[in-house]
Amino acid sequence: MAELTMGAVQFAERSNLKRFIATDSFFKYLTRAAAITVLAILFGVFVSLTLGAWPAFRAFGLDFLTVQTWNPVTEKFGALAPIYGTILTSLIAMLIAVPVGIGIAIFLTELCPRLLRQPIGIAIELLAGIPSIIYGIWGLFVFAPFLQQHVQPALIGFFGGVPILNQFFAGPPYGIGMFTAGLILAIMVIPFISSISRDVFDTTPAVLKESAYALGCTKWEVIWSVVLPFGRSGVLGGVMLGLGRALGETMAVTFVIGNAHRISASILAPGTTISATIANEFTEAVGDLYTASLIALGFILFVITFIVLAIARYMLSRLELKTR
Amino acid sequence: MNSIAVRATADDIPITREKLSIRGLSFFYGDSKALHGINLKLHERQVSALIGPSGCGKSTLLRILNRIYALYPNQRAEGEVLLDGENILRPDQDVNFLRAKVGMVFQKPTPFPMSIYENIAFGVRLYENLSRAEMDDRVEHALTKAALWEEAKDRLGTSALGLSGGQQQRLCIARTIAVKPEVILLDEPTSALDPISTAKVEDLIDELKRDFTIVIVTHNMQQAARVADRTAFLYLGNLIEEGPTSMMFNNPKDRRTLDYITGRFG
Repeated sequence: MAELTMGAVQFAERSNLKRFIATDSFFKYLTRAAAITVLAILFGVFVSLTLGAWPAFRAFGLDFLTVQTWNPVTEKFGALAPIYGTILTSLIAMLIAVPVGIGIAIFLTELCPRLLRQPIGIAIELLAGIPSIIYGIWGLFVFAPFLQQHVQPALIGFFGGVPILNQFFAGPPYGIGMFTAGLILAIMVIPFISSISRDVFDTTPAVLKESAYALGCTKWEVIWSVVLPFGRSGVLGGVMLGLGRALGETMAVTFVIGNAHRISASILAPGTTISATIANEFTEAVGDLYTASLIALGFILFVITFIVLAIARYMLSRLELKTR
Repeated sequence: MNSIAVRATADDIPITREKLSIRGLSFFYGDSKALHGINLKLHERQVSALIGPSGCGKSTLLRILNRIYALYPNQRAEGEVLLDGENILRPDQDVNFLRAKVGMVFQKPTPFPMSIYENIAFGVRLYENLSRAEMDDRVEHALTKAALWEEAKDRLGTSALGLSGGQQQRLCIARTIAVKPEVILLDEPTSALDPISTAKVEDLIDELKRDFTIVIVTHNMQQAARVADRTAFLYLGNLIEEGPTSMMFNNPKDRRTLDYITGRFG
């Protein structure tokens, strides 16, 4: 009787085991398939961008990157103006967002009263969650008129007498333009930079800060000489992620940039970016070369953001190595 | 009575004046009281050890002496700590100035993320405006004092994070003495080090007491016996007993001191 029971138990165990092995391997293949799907999609996007852009690259060659003309009537296309606009608006955005974002992070980690810490942190995360279309309409109907009436005339007046700089702040105050787009992008990117920087600063070992205080450092000296250098690579990673977002942002920029295919010295002038051009023109793109040129723009953006994100990953991985 | 070798006997200790005088000192972490009315005198150019089991308040006591506890809003001290007769706990005490006079070395080596040279020059620059040559001298002097000059002189420009743990701790000591403090607080300075590095740091402490008043927290009784002129035993936030190290280890007055140094608890 005892032997019989044992046998039954063993049998039950063995069939269970078989079942476990089967579910295990099923689960393994399922998750592996999910992972491979991502790679396949990425590869598919790359291939279709390349194929779609091919006619434009064949027709214009490297000139596509260096020519400013964008003429659908004569079918002459060059990507220089949108590339310039993309880089300039992102640059303006980063010039503003990096100091502000890092400042917020320093305040939250080192200076903020405990009571305020969480509300401000949550507010910043909410800022990151606002859909870009809302930034777009707010930018067009509220922010751009405000800039046009109050800020831009002041800038033009202030820099009017300064040689060289007056060229960057010249022309009529349109309200919309590169400068406005850059400001909107800055607002959108600040939450990224500040929340990543905050997490990075939080990893500064308390004892390291204490030993700086023990030398007699003031708060400012501890932040500047210990906290910032300690978090340098992580903050750079956060900045790069923000830059990746600024480069690719479409909706908000399309609303406020003015969509003019030209390169102006003045940053107040209307311009365009790669993503704004694509969003505006793909419906009216008649003719293969026009479509191919828009896809080629997409391809260029893909390459630029890929490089930026790769650098970000590299920076973050270096941070992990250091704090381990 | 016990097997711990004590370096100094009571008669060897030079008579020096009081540097720090702790009077009726209590300490609170939020609502919980960690120190209960401590009275203790620490003498100039002597090594004083604070010993006791984990959680007895020895590190807490040390962290009051340079007011590093004041970084944390819910920690507070009551009572008096006189440094050369001045109460350092009074609210208008300039803590940066205090910390220039009372340096501290921590349990784990804490080199700053910069070069070896900069680690030392950084603290000096907070207080003094030295020429390049004067700063070079100061760095060399501090590293020599900390017995690190020979190992570090050819790599002053490289990151301090590349040094070994023992070297990093000696760098932290060099950094502390470079700002010319009067008192040096050592919070279990060798607990993260191997025996050879520990021996070097202990030799260094012996060397440093010629110029500085040293307070060392240690959970290693042999270490207290080796380096300290006087030893104080804390237990559950109370100062149980204080005296010349030889007396504390050979002939303690309190039963609890005897139990601790003979390893019956702790």
